[in-house]
Amino acid sequence: MGGSLFDTPDSPSLGGISSIDRNPFELFLYYEARLLDLRKFWNWKSLFTEDGAYWVPASANQKDPFSAASLFYDDAQLMTTRFERLEHPRIHVQSPQSRTAHMISNVVIEEADEKKGEFLISSSMTMTEYRQDIQRVFAGYQYHRLKRNNDSFLIRLKRVDLINCDSAFEAMALPI
Amino acid sequence: MGEDSMFDGSGSNINDLIEPGRVHRDVYTDPDLFELEMDRIFGQAWIYVGHDSQIPNTGDFITTEIGRQPVILIRHSDGNPKLLINRCSHRGAKVLNETTGNAKSLTCLYHGWSFGTDGTCLGVSMPEGCAKGFNKKDFGLSVAPRLGVYRGFIFASLAENGPTFDDFLGPMTANIDDLVDRAPDGEISLDAGVHRYIFRGNWKLQVENVLDSYHVPFSHASTVNKKGEQFSRREGDKGGAQVIDQKKQKTAEAWRGRRSYVVEFGHGWTSNTELKDKDRSSPAWNAYKEALSSKVGKNRMEEILKPEFHNTLIYPNTSIMGLNIHVRVIKPISVNLTEVNVYPVRLKGAPEEMNFGNIRLLNVTHSASSFVQTDDLEAFQRTQKGLQGKKNDWIDISRGLGEEQADPHYNATSESAMHEMAVRAQYSAWLNYMTMDR
Repeated sequence: MGGSLFDTPDSPSLGGISSIDRNPFELFLYYEARLLDLRKFWNWKSLFTEDGAYWVPASANQKDPFSAASLFYDDAQLMTTRFERLEHPRIHVQSPQSRTAHMISNVVIEEADEKKGEFLISSSMTMTEYRQDIQRVFAGYQYHRLKRNNDSFLIRLKRVDLINCDSAFEAMALPI
Repeated sequence: MGEDSMFDGSGSNINDLIEPGRVHRDVYTDPDLFELEMDRIFGQAWIYVGHDSQIPNTGDFITTEIGRQPVILIRHSDGNPKLLINRCSHRGAKVLNETTGNAKSLTCLYHGWSFGTDGTCLGVSMPEGCAKGFNKKDFGLSVAPRLGVYRGFIFASLAENGPTFDDFLGPMTANIDDLVDRAPDGEISLDAGVHRYIFRGNWKLQVENVLDSYHVPFSHASTVNKKGEQFSRREGDKGGAQVIDQKKQKTAEAWRGRRSYVVEFGHGWTSNTELKDKDRSSPAWNAYKEALSSKVGKNRMEEILKPEFHNTLIYPNTSIMGLNIHVRVIKPISVNLTEVNVYPVRLKGAPEEMNFGNIRLLNVTHSASSFVQTDDLEAFQRTQKGLQGKKNDWIDISRGLGEEQADPHYNATSESAMHEMAVRAQYSAWLNYMTMDR
């Protein structure tokens, strides 16, 4: 797999890489999303490699998280700060808490390096969030850079490209 | 204004809304007052509209708003920025629709009228149909009558007359210098994207919050760890500000010791946040210090890096943060809806890893998904909700009333930042704008 960790596939291929069973990848993505919906943030964090990162660009076609603002670019340390805060009794923006429901679909294995055990998986996502009488929807495409870990995977990078990434958002307390 | 408006536009009843140490809730909730603000504050004051670095080349533009007035900031062929009203002189459509771009001329989508980068009307399609006496010279885009630039920060006033730009900015040049001097090349760039957030509350709630250190131990309790320290917000820091004294279970002395300062026009700032500057170290920070020192010398570098300001407000719409650096622009949309744009600052001549450090930490302090700003937004929205009822008409801003002191060093008025002097100064400026003879 060439290019930068932050790249997305150039163009879709019909079915992606079909020689590899897609099922374990799909189940992994469902599990990852479900952990967020259940607010099991520490379990979610443990899905990442030690140097793994979670990235939500703040502009369309953003090349990397270094040269411009991002909605999220959390490494392990920032995830820890974020989740300690989410567990703090006085996080006002989560009083009351949000409830979320993720939908993941259109899962495609875009790139695979079986030798290294590295994969790039693309999928479509929505997250519907409800908090205090207001329901809103986040939608976009996500790209998981995965590394095989025994019979499951670890995330090197989760990138979520929201279709409205450059709009003005009301407060967002939870990862997408 | 509605027929049953309380505010007929004369000064007398507006004066009644501001008393020593308190403000009437209508100031936050009355749509007619909001209309007056758009005219008398945003239509009159010097408003920060953008930065030189956003429009480096001829024809480069950004579109933004002054109050609710759509405007275009564009680099004219003479090299100077121009502030054009983004409204076709024909039937009123917004001429430029993109937020940024480059244009040799500006063509309205509706009937194809075109304009130069200085607003001049270049041509009217099918001119044979123009009425007798029609002269395209009379149909240029309106131009802001006054523009002022200080070290790349571009301000515009929609009023022909009023205080000069120099008078308006006054001693706040020092606060801009404090930021810009940190760049080894002596220039900054606001070209690293923008954080946009929105809240269901009045714009002044955000403005007041900028210089309010009193809320931090409470609103931002969740950003403070078990040692009472906030998370680290600057590249190379080993820890953040001591906000809580955990042994005594109260606000830390260092935090209580903060000062706020105000000058004319509602501007002001808060004093530096005490951090362990001697322990500050990281490859990016060290490389940055080297870059700065090689440009300005070691002594000047140490002067520049001695933190002086935490947050600065250039009233009514701009704040500059010295702690984790950024420029923030507050945009009123309606009486109970406000958008805020937060621009990361790139220090020209600084190593890219230092600029990345600043960009990365701003993501978690002032974005819509940050650890700090989100609780402020919750506070603003709950305030807007709390002010809906008529049971209690007054907001208290009296902390420290009468304890204001002259500060000869800054030629400003100073008080504890745990007090509310800065908010009172903002309302004094507000009242001036709202009741000024024009």
